[in-house]
Amino acid sequence: MSDRTPVQRQRSAPTADWIAGVRARFPVERTIDDVLTRKLERRSLPAEHRTDPAALEKRLEDYLRAVTGQPDLEFANLQRLTGGASKEQFTFDLRWRPEAGARTTRKLILRMDPSESIVETHRLREAQLLRAMRGVVPVPEVLWVDPTPEHLGHPFLIAEFLQGTVQPEGGDRASGLGMYFAPELRDRLKDQFVHHLASIHRFDWRTPDLSAYDWPQPGTIDGNLWSLATWERAWHEDTLESHPLMDYAAAWLKANMPTVARPVVVHGDYRSGNFMYTDDLHINAVLDWELAHIGDHHEDLAYTASGILGCPDENGTMLVCGLLPRDEFFARYRELSGLPVDPERLFYFEVLNYYKMAVIAVATSLRTAHGRRTHLDAMMNLLSGFGYIALANLQRLLGPGGGR
Amino acid sequence: MGPEISQFLAGMRKTMEQVVLPNLSDRFAQEQAGIVTATLAFLEQVHDKVFHYELLEHHLYQRLLGQTLDLLSVPEVTDPEIVETLAAIQRQLTEDPPGGDIHLYRYDRLRAGNESMKELLCALIRLQPALPDAVRTALGDLLQPFFRDLERRERSWVKPLGFDAQADQLPDIAELLYCNDRLQLPGDGRP
Repeated sequence: MSDRTPVQRQRSAPTADWIAGVRARFPVERTIDDVLTRKLERRSLPAEHRTDPAALEKRLEDYLRAVTGQPDLEFANLQRLTGGASKEQFTFDLRWRPEAGARTTRKLILRMDPSESIVETHRLREAQLLRAMRGVVPVPEVLWVDPTPEHLGHPFLIAEFLQGTVQPEGGDRASGLGMYFAPELRDRLKDQFVHHLASIHRFDWRTPDLSAYDWPQPGTIDGNLWSLATWERAWHEDTLESHPLMDYAAAWLKANMPTVARPVVVHGDYRSGNFMYTDDLHINAVLDWELAHIGDHHEDLAYTASGILGCPDENGTMLVCGLLPRDEFFARYRELSGLPVDPERLFYFEVLNYYKMAVIAVATSLRTAHGRRTHLDAMMNLLSGFGYIALANLQRLLGPGGGR
Repeated sequence: MGPEISQFLAGMRKTMEQVVLPNLSDRFAQEQAGIVTATLAFLEQVHDKVFHYELLEHHLYQRLLGQTLDLLSVPEVTDPEIVETLAAIQRQLTEDPPGGDIHLYRYDRLRAGNESMKELLCALIRLQPALPDAVRTALGDLLQPFFRDLERRERSWVKPLGFDAQADQLPDIAELLYCNDRLQLPGDGRP
């Protein structure tokens, strides 16, 4: 694919002026601006993304010796993980003395940015929120984070590796992204699933260190403005070609933006596939916090309940994330969170979420593959199929009779 | 000239499915090889329809931009950026006029024209808040059927990728492009 128009050439080799223009046009959070700007500044670098496991092992080991101050630590079994689409993930075993502890061996996970990712996110934000959520919902412990490319060539975080099941056997039997859970699994997991979402939204985010986040004022549109600007900016930075429905949807989202009455932590990707459960059917980890921000709880509700992530039960009833019917999901959520569920806001965020999915899977995924900037270029191309379904849903919502 | 592209693709996919995938032990390599195989299957379905897909898009965007120009070239539309964009649309349609011979040019030229037209339409959509209410409503009415057809076309195109839960209700892309084996260009006056 070539860059055939002046706009396309600017996106592929952005000048300082063009980057400044994009930054001025879209008001995003400070740390989001950092990662998006860094992406653009590095885009013109000719090198395609490559990971040399031997070199990574050496740099990681050097980093760990330095950060722990323990030259005698033992490092072994660096292995690449499958699954996921945004970050490179590796597991390894580390034998060392944690602070004020006895020498121990733990299996850890390294989450590292590729040169450009299907979602450009900030490792410090992810680490801060994971730390804040300890004891609120089950999350892995974060041990170290470096949001710069200094040590491994790319930003990363290191956390404990948890054992559990993400996708049940036969979970991929549904078409699309929906995941199937057998009735006995649904019965045991669905209430925990809603309970954890309610806990996230009830959490008092003003107390812990969330300095990497911008805090929206209650009763303003701040949170929603930043959220839309993030995705709109990503679209204009990344898309390989224009799409009229995306500009139409962005205009609608600006014209209809609601205020956020009571800002909460929005997970941003709360669905089946992003939680893990044990053999005795307890959810032992809520994963993938990289899209989290402070905003409107309806953003999560609309995303989690979106049809594209659902799966029908044995009778054809569509289940939210393959777990429970939509009405039951909202009723239980209201009960557990004490927060209102407003259909108009749900509609707004349904539009925003499909817009976001289209940005991710039509624009950024194809941009990363175009530049050969990830470890998953073939997958990035394939994911466009998901993005065009998100676009079809945008058309359904914003077209005649769509509910706007 | 042989073999045909479809034969190349089918041969590669068979090799991936029957030789490479069963003999890979690394899970990451298995996952990626599966994606390559799925991509080959998709290409088998669409590779011979790309040029006609773009030719249809070219026809439809030209038609829509012409209609948009008629609609917005009225005294009530005075916003300088909109007026400038309309002038750019006029230049585009003059350089590459409807009913022209774009079908004789290389794919790259065809695609470039489509991308330029999309950018112009998007620029107008971004500027629509500055339109008088009645004109903006009329533009919305013009866009809606275009969006509906675009959505059907795109979903049918990506149907073989396997993400669409309603794939069995969607036409194949060939059904949207062709009638009696001939590309259908709506409104071109031919049967």
